[in-house]
Amino acid sequence: MQFAKRGLLAGLALGALVAAVPAQAQDEVTITVWSIDGANQVGPSDTFSKEFDEMDNGINVEYRILQFDEIVNETLRAFATGNAPDIVSLDNPDFALFSSRGAFLDITDMAAESDVINPEVYFEGPLNSVSWDGRLYGVGKYTDTIGVFYNKDMFAEAGIENPPQTWAEFEEYARKLAKPDQGLYGATLSARGNEEGTFQFLPVIQMSGGGYENVNTEGAREWLSMVKGMIDDGVLSQDVLSLGQWDSTGTFNSGNAAMAISGPWEIDRMVEDADFDWGVTLLPTFGEGDERSSALGGFNLGIMSTTEHPEEAFKVLEYFVSQDDRLFPEFGYLPTRSDVELPLSGIEKKDAALAVFQEQLQYAQPRGPHPEWQKISKAIYDAEQAALTGQMTPDEALSQAQKTIDTILN
Amino acid sequence: MRRILSSITDGKGFDLIMVGMTMLFLFALAGVPLVYNVVMSFQQVDMFNLNTFSRPFAGFENYVAIVSQPEFWLVIRNTAIFVFGSIAGQFIFGFALAIFFMLSFPFASTIRGLFLVSWVMPGLVVGALWGWILAGDFGVLNAILRGLGIIDGTMFWKSDPNLSIWAVTIANIWLGLAFNMMLLSVGLAGIPRDLYEAAELDGANGWQRFTTITLPMMRSTIGAVLALGLIYTLQQFDLFPAITEGGPANSSNVAQYWAWQWSFQLFDFAKGATVSMMMLIFVLVASIVYVRSTRHEVRG
Repeated sequence: MQFAKRGLLAGLALGALVAAVPAQAQDEVTITVWSIDGANQVGPSDTFSKEFDEMDNGINVEYRILQFDEIVNETLRAFATGNAPDIVSLDNPDFALFSSRGAFLDITDMAAESDVINPEVYFEGPLNSVSWDGRLYGVGKYTDTIGVFYNKDMFAEAGIENPPQTWAEFEEYARKLAKPDQGLYGATLSARGNEEGTFQFLPVIQMSGGGYENVNTEGAREWLSMVKGMIDDGVLSQDVLSLGQWDSTGTFNSGNAAMAISGPWEIDRMVEDADFDWGVTLLPTFGEGDERSSALGGFNLGIMSTTEHPEEAFKVLEYFVSQDDRLFPEFGYLPTRSDVELPLSGIEKKDAALAVFQEQLQYAQPRGPHPEWQKISKAIYDAEQAALTGQMTPDEALSQAQKTIDTILN
Repeated sequence: MRRILSSITDGKGFDLIMVGMTMLFLFALAGVPLVYNVVMSFQQVDMFNLNTFSRPFAGFENYVAIVSQPEFWLVIRNTAIFVFGSIAGQFIFGFALAIFFMLSFPFASTIRGLFLVSWVMPGLVVGALWGWILAGDFGVLNAILRGLGIIDGTMFWKSDPNLSIWAVTIANIWLGLAFNMMLLSVGLAGIPRDLYEAAELDGANGWQRFTTITLPMMRSTIGAVLALGLIYTLQQFDLFPAITEGGPANSSNVAQYWAWQWSFQLFDFAKGATVSMMMLIFVLVASIVYVRSTRHEVRG
């Protein structure tokens, strides 16, 4: 009995001690950060969160990894139930879904005071994707875009000197290089029925004078007919309709396609896998010297408006931004701003490719921003697929998409 | 007082409690979500009013919008192909296999047991597996078909709008085959041997024995297998994201995957609920037909 009492007392004392610890640390603020970095490989957000957490500055950072397919849903649900994180990192076309409804914190004034975050140094595309109604709701984390990879050995063998600069050349070379009987395709791209399809098709609409509000351009119709013809003749694999960019470019790496439309995320794997000489060129245009365009990919960072500690969250954001010069050397990502020098890697093909993608980035245009981007995007990739499978003519497909988009926009 | 007590422990009261508990569970786990779904299909729902009930009333707007989608009839057609194709394939091949394994040959029951491997595998794994088998340029199925001289070129199972729904149906037939075979084997084992012996003595040939003994004796098993097949096929979701993602151009999109796309890709939860309501009506009609067709049976 005596023993039990003593045990009880000891337990109470221990309990009080445990209770006292958080009381002492009351000044400590915890900021939660959600991102997909760390899901497949180490990325910037998980690394920087950990570093900031280890600093002795009264702010703890709790980091949570989410999968790419889940992060929007999960953030929605958390926001709806009042458990949103303080900082979240979203794919750039998904950002407006939140910023347009005031779910992201307006950081325009905080950025104006900040020594670290200066909106003026950001590329226009990424900056547009974090802006809504002239206010700033976040910063670009990293960015990417698309261009044309080409197999230099095959080009030399076929006697083609330069990579294609116009879509007409793209088709001409692809037809020349394709050997359907040997399973060799002239080119590969991704016209998959999801965001990836829109990612690669929207630039074509944009460079022919359109945009997501106006998709039925002459150039877009021409391009769809061209690609359809190439699929029908076995110059492109029909599987471009179901392959994502990563798998599609895999066929290029294994020497089964002479050209591939894809982005800088392929470079490291290509250096490893491709046992031929390759290069990158800008996305073709319709005529020589015509308007250029390309897709704008990459993630943004924003502070959720429900945060209880906006100032501390902003400090975390500032720290992330202050580490932008490490994005490329450590993680292979391109920063969204023009004032960060990218060090050369010493790998000749990689550095050459990088230079092209940096130039291409100047022409990259964001998707949206629009709060119902997902529906607009579906109209665009549905139209592309309907035209490429021959279910509709390019004109029918694009006017149907236009009709859908008009209902969404009005 | 005692009468009430004894009624609870052993009598009408006991029955009522048993039924009541079941009803309570059914109501909480099936009824409430169902009603919630019905309510949602008549409202305008987006993510910012997802957690409240007071959402703008939309009347039949969602239903009208769904029916007037350009892909609506395509999705209906695909759902019909997928459901009837899968059930027919699973049933015919399952029945054939069940009869085959009724023959006594060495390791018959062991091999039959191994067939269950396909049934215990998660749908996503089966989907990934068939995704590779059905791949266009480097798929195994194409290599086999080409080797047998059946085709010359490449069949783009996942990317050809004429083939894509069949590609998923083939994978689903494989997935459900073992389950059908098992249930039908049990039914077959329940038919008394002496019936066949008597028929054989009367001079009935194999086909006559099958149509006059096996089929009639299996009526209730077949009914159950087909009804379960319908339910499992309409629930089949995993194969779609893993093999075709409903594409290309919705040519392999079915109602259950479409409902998911509305809710979790386009974030229009009301339209997702609307599509699933339409499916519910279809299942309801099918189950009424099933119940009516088996009603005259006397069950012990």
